[in-house]
Amino acid sequence: MRLHDLPAYVRDTVLRMLPHRTRTGLRRVGHPGRDAPVLLTGNFTLTVRRLRDVLRGRDAFILVADSRGINVWCAAGGGHLTHHDVISAIRTSGVADQVDRKEVILPQLSATGVERRKITEATGFDTRWGPARLEDLPAFLDRGRRVHKDERKMRFPFWERMEMAAMWGVPTLVIGGLIVEPLGGLTVLAAVAASLVTIVVGVFALLPWLKVGPGWRWPTLGAFTVLGFGVASVVLALLGRFTSGPMMWVGASSLLSAGILSADLEGTTPSYGSYINTFHNPASVDLVEEKCTGAADCVQVCPRDVLQMDGKRRKVAIARPDQCIQCGACVVQCPESALRFRYADGSVVEAETIRRTRMNMVGKRTVPVPD
Amino acid sequence: MSSFVWMKVLESAPERYDRGVHRLSRGRIDDVYRRIAERVAAPARTILDIGCGTGGVSLACAARGAEVFGIDLDAGMLEVARAKPVPGDGTVTFLQLAAAEIEDRFPERTLDAVVSCLAFSELSPEQQAYALKIARTRLRPGGELLIADEVAPRSGARRAWYHLRRAPLIALTYVLTQTTTRPVAGLADAVRATGFREVTETRIWEDTFVLVHGVRAEAAGASASTEEGS
Repeated sequence: MRLHDLPAYVRDTVLRMLPHRTRTGLRRVGHPGRDAPVLLTGNFTLTVRRLRDVLRGRDAFILVADSRGINVWCAAGGGHLTHHDVISAIRTSGVADQVDRKEVILPQLSATGVERRKITEATGFDTRWGPARLEDLPAFLDRGRRVHKDERKMRFPFWERMEMAAMWGVPTLVIGGLIVEPLGGLTVLAAVAASLVTIVVGVFALLPWLKVGPGWRWPTLGAFTVLGFGVASVVLALLGRFTSGPMMWVGASSLLSAGILSADLEGTTPSYGSYINTFHNPASVDLVEEKCTGAADCVQVCPRDVLQMDGKRRKVAIARPDQCIQCGACVVQCPESALRFRYADGSVVEAETIRRTRMNMVGKRTVPVPD
Repeated sequence: MSSFVWMKVLESAPERYDRGVHRLSRGRIDDVYRRIAERVAAPARTILDIGCGTGGVSLACAARGAEVFGIDLDAGMLEVARAKPVPGDGTVTFLQLAAAEIEDRFPERTLDAVVSCLAFSELSPEQQAYALKIARTRLRPGGELLIADEVAPRSGARRAWYHLRRAPLIALTYVLTQTTTRPVAGLADAVRATGFREVTETRIWEDTFVLVHGVRAEAAGASASTEEGS
């Protein structure tokens, strides 16, 4: 990252729950010739900047599709980055006049929204999945546009978890600070901030070792609420304000901090499925084995290594169902519509529905299916 | 006129869209739908509605006997549109399709009219240019283009008041839906530049809404006029 990008990076990170649009169309990195790779992304400012940074020193085209200013994964899941948008980007950008090799490299995480074959049918451009993460792109390009198996899997490194903590914590702290400081003073604000930072940063720092999924989210968030309250109490004691009024403030703010995280902590991680999407009716991916022809498109797009090809049987197997985060990529990509979601209440949502609505269902489009 | 930036709140819940946009426009949006239909729709005419949403324009055209195709990317809005009864003798087919995909579904010179209401402002400038270019090739000679959308007033004071009134709505809508709308600009010029002829621009609702009409002709060249509506 260049120094002059820092203010925009801070803005986009802290406010990344909100879309940040950048212009769509074709951009050049270096001096791309007619055989240069064309890499597709959405028009979220942070993503485009990071893609440009990771490609620095190379010659490539970046094709920015209209994802409504939302990052690729969320946009694809919400139906805001689909093959319609990719077709639109290819046609309206004039990229076909710039390259001889008619191929677009798609971000793997766009697989919930983007149906590859429809792009080729409409534009004549071949498509290829890139790696799940931007930093693996140079290696992917160096080895002839081939994805290594490990590069399909999502990681959630410490610095990225801290970015998510900043996304949850900083706006909460700013808005909360504007209310707390005039009413309670700086000492109370310091204690409230200590509670918030303990809860938000603590949850994300320790996330790989925590249990947050079904059955565990409330105990885990409850434990961090107590921890945040404890740290804030120590701060108040050290500042000589360990009295009932300030204690009520930190009690309320600890509960509120955990409450805000509980809105959809899971959905802001690549480790858990979105809580908002399912609420108390957890879903899991379901394979209709008779339909499976072993095409294995699903294996190529799963960011959690849930699916495996059983070469002997020429069928896909759901090898690690506990790792599934219901992103929907496998369901959308299966050419035989052999995958679907099955909910805890026995209802299912079929591939055709996901392809029409993406994951933007809010539990309204399931149908009861007897076993 | 309340700003159509609030449409974004309504689009987040398609089942509320019709009622909401009716209230936002103080009932006048139905007049726009009717105005578009009266201008372009008739029995045996084939009409394409770009960004049809919940089908307001498409159904108004069908009510006058036209064969209408409504395209939109929003599956929720299309679901609402498909659930509505088709009035009159016309037919309506709703398709999930982007403006840049018109050429995949409609052969050249097969449409009598291309219409669009409150959708062009959603497109990027290059998407707008592409949609106009493709619309022209899909129209039969003599076929009509009619685009209606929100626009910023031309006079300085009115324009300033428009933006001032819009600013808090933009902020609130952005917080509620993380999206916003932009008024269109230079639409009539873009329509002329695409090669449409007899381009007229009708401004209504205190200069905050525009209807741009053009005709496809074989010969090159364009003429223009601007009229003030009510």
